[in-house]
Amino acid sequence: MKRFLTSAFALLAFTFGSSAQIHCGTVELVPNTTTNALATFNNFSYYEAGYTINSVARVRVRVTDQAIPDPLCSWSLIMSVENNPIAGTPANEWEELATYGSGSAANPTIDMLQIRVRNACATSPINGVFQNFTNHGDVIDIISPLLPVTPAGSCVTNVNGPGDYISNYDEYNFDIDVRINPGFAVNPGIFQLNIKFRLEENP
Amino acid sequence: MNTNKLLSTAVALGLGLTSFGQLIDEQDVTITMDLQPVLQLDMTTPNQIEFVFDEINEYYAGITQYGATILKVSSTVSWDLYAVGRSTGTNGPEFWDQQISYGTSANPNAIGDLPLSLLELRQNQPNNGALAAGGAFPDYSQAFAASTAASGGNSLYVNGGTNTPPTTNDKYIGGHAGTSGTPGQDFLPGGSYLTSAGTASDYYYSIDYRILPSLPAIFPMAHDADGVTPEDLVTVNGPGTYAEPGVYTMYVQYILLEDQ
Repeated sequence: MKRFLTSAFALLAFTFGSSAQIHCGTVELVPNTTTNALATFNNFSYYEAGYTINSVARVRVRVTDQAIPDPLCSWSLIMSVENNPIAGTPANEWEELATYGSGSAANPTIDMLQIRVRNACATSPINGVFQNFTNHGDVIDIISPLLPVTPAGSCVTNVNGPGDYISNYDEYNFDIDVRINPGFAVNPGIFQLNIKFRLEENP
Repeated sequence: MNTNKLLSTAVALGLGLTSFGQLIDEQDVTITMDLQPVLQLDMTTPNQIEFVFDEINEYYAGITQYGATILKVSSTVSWDLYAVGRSTGTNGPEFWDQQISYGTSANPNAIGDLPLSLLELRQNQPNNGALAAGGAFPDYSQAFAASTAASGGNSLYVNGGTNTPPTTNDKYIGGHAGTSGTPGQDFLPGGSYLTSAGTASDYYYSIDYRILPSLPAIFPMAHDADGVTPEDLVTVNGPGTYAEPGVYTMYVQYILLEDQ
């Protein structure tokens, strides 16, 4: 019996150790509805210089404490790319919706999309620098997971404590810019990618 | 009994703990890219290019109009460029339109049906996308032949009065027939004269025109699209024939299209 009890507590300890604990009251992106953006390349200038959409979306963070604040409440924000691989899209290409003309060239690759994150306090380590994805599922950290807590209002890199875009707009709002450079060697047509932003509290 | 209670509590607590998850929210941005093909052919040329033959030496040596047309290409896709001779068909689909004939000649050897291919073109630099060409002349880059040596190397491509693209045996200015997908074989890649090296680029062509009637006026440089089969008036109409004096018109159509 004693051995049985020991095993039970060991299991309990293991379960406890492998479980995450909620430290925050709420974790929200406001709004969290999907944004659709259309980049129409209908003149040579766009092909030559690229097509830029500034603030294609604004990712606004709101993280609140529990009723009894937990000093470990912090969060991470990441973005990943999706190209609907179930439809047969190769891992490194945009999803093809339609093609124009003979379509004898290659479809555009994911790395033709550049994405930039910025806010006034430059809280993200990649603030203001265009980034590239390569394959479906690639992840880029905006605020990395499991960082020490940096409280709101400090206006430094990696602010990840409780707070919101209303009280600390320059830290909790992220402007998202995209630029597309397809070049001259891809099939004309209509192609699509989805960028997913994921806000998660740190365990 | 106490042991069972303790065990139940432990398991329940364990289950309760494992049901905890992190708070998460997500937002999506869907980006749709509409890549519309853009093919731009900028052409600088007079509305009318006139060849007036009123001196004997002009019949012998021909008249050349240097750099009469400048072609500048911008394309977002791989492309081919060709020229084709056309008319309104007054005298037939492959002949110049005779606007007026001089005199009242009823001589059966005076021929009013002049082949469109008598017009010669010369592009200022070779076609660098024509390795797959199979004909005698892949483009119009060779020098105009001497007036004493008949050659189809520069005679204008004509195809029954249509604008159908040339075959692998015919002439293109840039690119060629076929879709090998291999650069240099049968297409020129997308790009623009705006970002290329000026007059030496594959996106910029200066076109010279020549008409050489010779004497008698049989147009010895006229050849079929293959550049090998003669179409001069004597070969087509028989010995003793010559061009009927008059005013003739035709037009050259330059066509830029996606590699095909």
